[in-house]
Amino acid sequence: MDMGLLGQFIVNGMMLGMMYALVAVGFTLFFGVLDVIKFSHGDVLMVGTFAGFSTYLGLGAIGIDNAFVQLIGVLVVAIGSMAILGAIIARYLVLPLKSAPPLNTLLVTLMLGTVLREAIRLFYPDGSNPKRFPSLLPTDSWTIGSFNLRADSVILLVGGLLVIVGVHVLINRTRLGMAIRAVAQDEETAKCMGINFKMIVLLTFGLGSAVAAFAGVMNGLYYNEINFGMGLLLGVIGFSAAIIGGLGNIYGAILGGFIFAALQTLGAVALPFASAYKDVFAFAVVIALIAWRPTGLIAEKTSERV
Amino acid sequence: MATASALELKNIYAAYDSADVLEDVSLSVPAGKITCLLGSNGAGKSTIIRSILGLTPPRSGDILVDGESLIGLPTHKVISAGIACIPEGRKVFPKMTVVENLRLGAFQESSESVIRDRIDQVFEIFPRLKERKGQLAGTMSGGEQAMVSIGRGLMAAPKVLLIDEPSLGLSPLFVKENFNIIRRINEQGITVFLVEQNVHQTLAIAHYGYVLSQGHVVAQGTAKELSENAEVHEAYFG
Repeated sequence: MDMGLLGQFIVNGMMLGMMYALVAVGFTLFFGVLDVIKFSHGDVLMVGTFAGFSTYLGLGAIGIDNAFVQLIGVLVVAIGSMAILGAIIARYLVLPLKSAPPLNTLLVTLMLGTVLREAIRLFYPDGSNPKRFPSLLPTDSWTIGSFNLRADSVILLVGGLLVIVGVHVLINRTRLGMAIRAVAQDEETAKCMGINFKMIVLLTFGLGSAVAAFAGVMNGLYYNEINFGMGLLLGVIGFSAAIIGGLGNIYGAILGGFIFAALQTLGAVALPFASAYKDVFAFAVVIALIAWRPTGLIAEKTSERV
Repeated sequence: MATASALELKNIYAAYDSADVLEDVSLSVPAGKITCLLGSNGAGKSTIIRSILGLTPPRSGDILVDGESLIGLPTHKVISAGIACIPEGRKVFPKMTVVENLRLGAFQESSESVIRDRIDQVFEIFPRLKERKGQLAGTMSGGEQAMVSIGRGLMAAPKVLLIDEPSLGLSPLFVKENFNIIRRINEQGITVFLVEQNVHQTLAIAHYGYVLSQGHVVAQGTAKELSENAEVHEAYFG
């Protein structure tokens, strides 16, 4: 195969993997602290992207046309508003159902996802049609042989990597992260250590939703197009990635995200028929993976001993 | 009683798991002493601990720490009031290191130097934990986990330390060592409320005790009085 084309596939696969990993981290965080599946996660990502897009339009309307300022504005509003929305969903929808069967939470958040999706479709100006998301990143590119590496792709990949590293540091090196892990491992004992359980749940849902909003903006900047349904497939893929990696394990979720993207890319490149089948291929392999390793690829490291 | 109560339960009615029910339980834990609560399985011992911690709020009655009521407080506020707990079955955080477990014990303490001092104090009591400070608690033996759990309880520097069945599932040698450590903790000025089934060893270190049966306090007195009480003897000492 042509080296340039191969390079393109690799960059594209890494970009997708990064986005899927960011979405999967949310699923795995929520499951960690509360043992619930929040199915509205993909649609929260979509709402965040639209919030960012509206910020871009708003900044343009008041005459701010510096791309860097616009980018910062888009990111701050998308991430900030989804952190708040995530915490609100946790407070008013997920926590009240804590003693109910987990299926109820899954169903309620599934319905919330539909509400969010339809709300954007119906109430956002011309919401049923795709929107052109602006290119706010430098458009320089470097040509290496037949391979054309774009600066915006590099910036997006580095940005995604920084977010993942940031989440890792937050979870493993901070007091908040220690509390999140404690709640995930043993809720009652965590409470007995003096941890404010409800606050940790709200912060965790805020964190996961903020990371999803970042992934949404990343998606918009990469494809230059957003629509009200964009969260649906991203949500399902992120969820699958979290499951493949072992739900509750952050590194598993990241690994799962990149595995899924690798499968899609492989499906697009290697399959003899059209790349339209890449999702069919990827999901079929996911089904096989789950059948092979029902509890995820990364096994629990510790066993409890008496 | 001559000394003031650090912890007091007044006319507590509570239910947990429907079988473990408390009816009109009143007891007082004097400051600076070891007070024990004896009783067989299902007598309501865990419900008392859960009520104090706010995990199973009582239906009626009052729980006071230094005269302040804990009723209606979420668990983390109960901890702020000066309660710490060494839970039944140790309950270490299995996927965290020894040091992380200890740090969680002092979660509400914001001063890093105070936390470090307390970790050093715990390492002095349990030199073995210092050797294994980076090990994941879930990979340790039961006896070592008990050390982590006790150390974690001490990290909060509580007014009142609740200890729930420390001998459960441990070898007799460890049980003996644990009871010695509980006595040492108390000698450092920490009020201890010890819940146990192991009557002889408990009464050997406790100052005062209560006997719980089917949700009622059926006997109370100094450790000496309890061990001489014929009725208690027959029912619980075998």
